[in-house]
Amino acid sequence: MNVLIIGNGLAGTLAAKSLRELDPDLGIEVLGEERHPYYPRPNLIEYVAGRLPLEKIFAFPEEWAARQGITLRLGEKVARILPAEKKVETAAGAVLSYDALLIATGARAALPPVPGVDKKGVFVLRTLDDAHDLIAYLEGHRRVAVLGGGLLGLEIARAIRGRGADVEVIEFFDRLLPRQLDPAAAAILRAQFEKTGISVRLRATTKEILGDSGGVRGLRFESGETLGTEAVVIAAGIKPEIGLAADAGLQIGRGVLVDDRMKTSGPGIFAAGDAAEHRGRIYGIIPAAFEQARVAAANMLGQDKPYGGTVPFNTLKVAGLYLTSAGEIDAEGPGFESLVHSDPAAGLYKKIVLQDGRLAGAIWMGTKKGAAEISRLVALKRDVGTIKQALLEDDFDFTEIP
Amino acid sequence: MDKYECTACGYVYDPAVGDPDNGIAPGTSFEALPDTWVCPQCGVPKDLFVKVG
Ligand SMILES: Cc1cc2nc3c(=O)[nH]c(=O)nc-3n(C[C@H](O)[C@H](O)[C@H](O)COP(=O)(O)OP(=O)(O)OC[C@H]3O[C@@H](n4cnc5c(N)ncnc54)[C@H](O)[C@@H]3O)c2cc1C
Ligand SMILES: [Zn+2]
Repeated sequence: MNVLIIGNGLAGTLAAKSLRELDPDLGIEVLGEERHPYYPRPNLIEYVAGRLPLEKIFAFPEEWAARQGITLRLGEKVARILPAEKKVETAAGAVLSYDALLIATGARAALPPVPGVDKKGVFVLRTLDDAHDLIAYLEGHRRVAVLGGGLLGLEIARAIRGRGADVEVIEFFDRLLPRQLDPAAAAILRAQFEKTGISVRLRATTKEILGDSGGVRGLRFESGETLGTEAVVIAAGIKPEIGLAADAGLQIGRGVLVDDRMKTSGPGIFAAGDAAEHRGRIYGIIPAAFEQARVAAANMLGQDKPYGGTVPFNTLKVAGLYLTSAGEIDAEGPGFESLVHSDPAAGLYKKIVLQDGRLAGAIWMGTKKGAAEISRLVALKRDVGTIKQALLEDDFDFTEIP
Repeated sequence: MDKYECTACGYVYDPAVGDPDNGIAPGTSFEALPDTWVCPQCGVPKDLFVKVG
């Protein structure tokens, strides 16, 4: 049996690893458009910040794939899937057959439809090549605007600030990390961020990226205001790579549609990771790509392994603050109840959201004590009706909860 | 021995469990993991882990 995997990001690589663990004799071939072997994308942040040397970016030693009996074809882009013939065709014209196919093409950075996005000095940070380009440009350009105050935008801003550049984060929402934080927590985070010398501009819609043949010169906002800047990094979400699936006639939504076995509508064709849409959801996070890849691998080999979704979980450390955000963090309405414990001066904010007495979500900012435990309880949707107040206390002993 | 969490993906290294899939025996402390060890879930290096007690 021969398995083909399109994409050598996390989902493709971890699926190959799982497949090998499950079947020592399977033919496994991975086609990756990027020239580089697998690297975790979070490492790009550390690399841009100058905290991680290039040689530590890659997850596995160079000979890993060969040792695993995995054929890795780097720099090879798949141009077409031919589902009826169970073949794929590469951009270079090679035709390869498969018994089972995994679409692990991931996503690219979404670009907002703003005039000027194609100017010199406008960047995204998705691949190692993007990182190299950005770092090179920062050598001569010290004023940077980051479009997007989400998780990735803030991480990028912090990394660039770490290189000594002047950074301003532009967010069109009324707060930072709108997906992870409620307004009160976001205000605390903003203050902490500004302490590190990063400016934050909220409720700002970018109308145009200004510049000339020399490159970016500034931004013009809907309000009419302008901001002078020499470089722009866009962190405005992702766009799943679904072109191959669409051309092959597979069912697509925003992503490639998969069922609970990570199977697409095409025979023997599976999908996992940022490219896959499961029950209406595209996660865009590592834990989901990891679980999906493992489930897809098992089902590709004829096992019956279901995927029930991944509870979004995010831990980061920005401006010296630990932040954990899990599940529903700003839900209102019948059945929902929120409890908060906060100390803005210390950068501390803890909140739990209950749905009919069960934990539906939590924000844990400014402390990591209890953060892992609270997100586990959220994942389990634990009934905490009787201890809800105590949970927020700094000295709460989570080991009391079985 | 302390547990450590991957800041990129949330994987928790538990010394009691180790990482047998990747040749790390149960009972190996985080500090004793080789420098080449990476997160078994996403592949980031040890530097990106924080202690969770
Ligand atoms: C800078 C950065 C930091 C991040 N930090 C975190 C974090 O801390 N925590 C977290 O959970 N998530 C994080 N993410 C998101 C995480 O990286 C993604 O969820 C993950 O990479 C998804 O893996 P994937 O394999 O599905 O897709 P990708 O990583 O996008 O990999 C897909 C691969 O497929 C290749 N490909 C596409 N089309 C073709 C084709 N036609 N032929 C051949 N190859 C093709 C692409 O070149 C790419 O290499 C971060 C992302 C970025 C960019
Ligand atoms: Zn990890």
